Amino acid sequence: MEVVRVEGLGKTYPGGTKALEGVSFSIDKGQIFCLLGRNGAGKTTLLRILATQLKPTAGRAFVLGHDVLQDPKAIRPHIAVVPQEARPQMLLSPYDHILYFCMIRGQSRGTARERTRKVMDDLGLWEHRDKLASDLSGGLRQRLIIAMALVADPEVLFLDEPTIGLDPLGRRSVWHMLRELTRKGATILLTTHYLDEAEMLADDLLIVDKGRTAFHGTVEEAKGDTGVGMRVIVEHPAGNGTGPPEVLEPRSAEEILAIVERGLREKRKVTFKPASLEEAFIKIVGGSIEVEDT
Amino acid sequence: MLLVVISLFSFLPVIFIFVFATAPGAAVQSLVGAIILTFAFTGLFASQSVYFNKQWFRFQDMLVASRVSPASYAVGLSVSGLVVALPGVLVALVLVLLSAPVPAIGVLVALATALLLWIGLVFVGFAIGATTKNARRANSIPQVLSIALGFLPPVYYPLSTLDRYPVAQAFAMLIPTTHAAQLAKYYFGLIDIPVWQVALGWAYLLGFTALMGLIASRRAHWVDP
Repeated sequence: MEVVRVEGLGKTYPGGTKALEGVSFSIDKGQIFCLLGRNGAGKTTLLRILATQLKPTAGRAFVLGHDVLQDPKAIRPHIAVVPQEARPQMLLSPYDHILYFCMIRGQSRGTARERTRKVMDDLGLWEHRDKLASDLSGGLRQRLIIAMALVADPEVLFLDEPTIGLDPLGRRSVWHMLRELTRKGATILLTTHYLDEAEMLADDLLIVDKGRTAFHGTVEEAKGDTGVGMRVIVEHPAGNGTGPPEVLEPRSAEEILAIVERGLREKRKVTFKPASLEEAFIKIVGGSIEVEDT
Repeated sequence: MLLVVISLFSFLPVIFIFVFATAPGAAVQSLVGAIILTFAFTGLFASQSVYFNKQWFRFQDMLVASRVSPASYAVGLSVSGLVVALPGVLVALVLVLLSAPVPAIGVLVALATALLLWIGLVFVGFAIGATTKNARRANSIPQVLSIALGFLPPVYYPLSTLDRYPVAQAFAMLIPTTHAAQLAKYYFGLIDIPVWQVALGWAYLLGFTALMGLIASRRAHWVDP
């Protein structure tokens, strides 16, 4: 079942900046859809349009069958957003943040208390419930913002760089939680700068560059389409190496066997490096993800 | 807790003036001015909540993607500031009534004046908060405006003080807080002004509120254009 459909979507800001042009895709129920792109590529613009926070200037977009421009009120009760760089109110406790968001979402005080407890437990926030948000670490603050979005039990969740600032364990707990949500039927659209995150989570992937679709498909297709395969690194023999090691890209099992045999014969260390999404991404957008668009 | 309670009374110095002033009439006028300015500043400083909820905490984005309506967001955001200020207003009101007994209708109309000014300045707050792009401006613009709207014009002090400076007096009449303070002092029975000036005061406040409402509706967006 199609939950999100985007047809030739475009956005030109009032100042004339073209942020999106002719983007089309769809997301099925229960999928995690990752949006990748350099800074300023149009990811946040696209996410905000779908979350009914920003008006598109061209094309159409539908969430749960409703047009984001014509019928946003029908969409809003069923979605939730974690905006980029959102921060909690420093003088409120995590418990109060989450409880108030439950009540804003229309839950009764009793239900809100139960839901708050559940979400805080799931995200490891319960032990911090009475601290002021100002006393929380950056990772805990980010987890709190995610918890505020999750209280709604949304059908579609929009996450704009949700794991920024989290430590590796925190990131994994968020990944686990997102997978749990999709198992229950939620659909997730997330933007991220962490390519390992996209590789781990994405059922489907859209890479945007300068507002246009640069790639759409699965992670494996991204690697395949760009010709990024396994790398084999062959070190120089001990005490005999001055230059960098050889980096080879074998295309077949025979080539791999030949490299291994040579390594054994010449007593050289051979290391296998699996293909990464990062390499495919760099090939697609033609530069590092950290490069700022000007 | 004690600090929170004290902070509710933003016009604490005025209470000292009231207690220690040798000219009691002027002191009561300054208390009425304090009531008017509490409403005015509560409205004006909504700009900070608007800015920080949208640009800093990003709560507005989270609320847009929910069943919250723009009207309930705007009302909640502005009324919350007023609710926090009400204990202070109540104390000032009790002190004024102890000094100069006023009929209930006078108190109600005076508070209606303050409320109308508050609505107008809430609109100003939304217009400023929605168009401000950095935290430094979000903090400093209402501070500067609060001097222009609160401390310079004849709100704490009587308009008659400016009789010797006709240009300053004419300039003061362009400021909405002057009209609100004049009307409130009139309804509290502290000054006597001609009927045309009462009518002018109401017309000015209504016009100001309508104009600011129009500007706010064009500048403050629930969904970004």
